[in-house]
Amino acid sequence: MALTLLLAGGGAVAGAFGALLGLGGGILIVPFLTLVFGVSFREAVAVSLLAVITTSSAGAAVYLERRVADLRLGMTLELATAVGGLVGGLIAFALSERLLAAGFAMMLAYTSFTMLRAGRRDRTAAMTPPGVDTELSSTPSPRATLATGLGDAAVAGSSDATGVDRATGTGGEADDAETRRTADAPAGAGRGESYVVRRLPLGFSLSAFAGIVAALMGVGGGLVKVPVMHLVMGVPLRVATATSNLMIGVTASASAVFYLLRGAVDPYVAAPVVAGVFVGASAASRMSHRVPVPILRLLFVAVLMYVSIEMAARALGFSLLAVPRD
Amino acid sequence: MTETRADATIDRIARLLSAGTLSSVLVVAAASLLSLAAGRAPFETAAPPVELGRMVSDLLALRPEGFLWLGLLLILALPSARVTLALAGYARAGDRYATAVAASVLAVLALSVAVALTLG
Repeated sequence: MALTLLLAGGGAVAGAFGALLGLGGGILIVPFLTLVFGVSFREAVAVSLLAVITTSSAGAAVYLERRVADLRLGMTLELATAVGGLVGGLIAFALSERLLAAGFAMMLAYTSFTMLRAGRRDRTAAMTPPGVDTELSSTPSPRATLATGLGDAAVAGSSDATGVDRATGTGGEADDAETRRTADAPAGAGRGESYVVRRLPLGFSLSAFAGIVAALMGVGGGLVKVPVMHLVMGVPLRVATATSNLMIGVTASASAVFYLLRGAVDPYVAAPVVAGVFVGASAASRMSHRVPVPILRLLFVAVLMYVSIEMAARALGFSLLAVPRD
Repeated sequence: MTETRADATIDRIARLLSAGTLSSVLVVAAASLLSLAAGRAPFETAAPPVELGRMVSDLLALRPEGFLWLGLLLILALPSARVTLALAGYARAGDRYATAVAASVLAVLALSVAVALTLG
C-alpha cells in the first residue's frame, strides 16, 4: 500500500511540476524511479513514456479544442518523430544503461540551463511596457495552463504558462520549402493569425532526431521539437508548443510498444505513476495562478541540476545518493 | 479540406482524446485500487506478462492484472485511434496529402508493433 501511494504521490509531484513549469512529467519520472526506487533505466523510461502519452493526450484535446495546435503540420512531423521513436525503441535495448544515463544527465543539464534563460527572459518581459513585444494576454485560464503544462516545452526559451510569446506570428520570407498555411491549421493561434511553414525538409529530419531522443530518454521531446518548429520552421511559439504536445502521443507510442513487448513495463509500478501524473497535472493547472512560478522554477532548476549530477555519477558507476531498492 | 469539415474532424479528435484519456486513467486508477485490495504490491509482486488471451481471462475473472493491462493498453492505443480518426476525416474530405500522411503514420505505428513482436 505504502509503495503504491508513494509511486502515485511521486507521479503527482512530477505531473504538478510539469504542468506548472510547462514541462512534461517524463523529465522527473525517470530520475524518480531510478534514483528513489532503484528501477532500471529502461523500465523507468517505459513507465515515463506511458505517462507522457497520457498527459499529452489530455493536453492535446484542449489545444485542439482551442484551435492552437496545427493538426496537419503535427501529423506531417509526427511521421518523422514516429520513425525516430521506432528507431529509438530498437536501439534502446542495444545501448548500455550507463550510456543512457549519461545522455539523460546531459539532457537535464541542458534543460536546467534553458529554464534559467527562460526565467531571465520572463523577468525582462515583465519589465517591458504593456503592449510591447507580447501578443498574448498574461493570465491564462486553468484549461489553457493544463494544456500547456501537460505539454512539454516551456524549455524552448519562453514560458507559455506566462502567456508571453515573442513570436511574430508570421513566418517571414519562405525559404526552400513548404510555404502553404495548412487549411485546417491553427485557427485559434490561429484564427486571424497566419504564418508560413518554412524549411519543412530540415524540420522533418530534426523531428526524427527528436523522436529518437524521446524514445531513449522517456520524455516528450519538446526540448528538440519546439525550437525546431519555432526557430527553424517559423511556427509561432505558442503553436509550436501545442503542436509538439499533440505529437508526443504518436512519438511515444511508436517506442513504448518495444518496451512493453520486451517486458520492460511493470504494470504495478506504471499504473499508480500514470494516475498520479494525470491527477497532479490536472490539479496544478487549476492552482497555477496562485503559485509563485519564478520561485518554483528556481527550485526546479536546483533539483534538475542535482539529479543531473546524480545521473552522471550513476553513468560513471557510482552514486552520491545510494538508495538501492533491495 | 473545407473549414467546416476540418473543424468537425478536429472537434471529434479533441473529444476522443479527452474521453479516451479520462476513461483510461480511470481504469488504471481502479486497477491500482483493485491490486491493493488483492494484496499485490509494486516491486513485491512479479509483473504479469502482457498477453491478450490472458488479459481477457483476467478481466472476466475480475483479476486486477486484467484491468491494469487494459488501462495501460488503452493509453497506448489512444494516439493510434487519434490518427485513425484524422485519416477518416481527411479521406472523407478528399484531402489526399493529409490522408497519405495519416496513413503513413499509421503504417509506421503498425511497423513498430510488428518489429517489436518479432524481436520480443
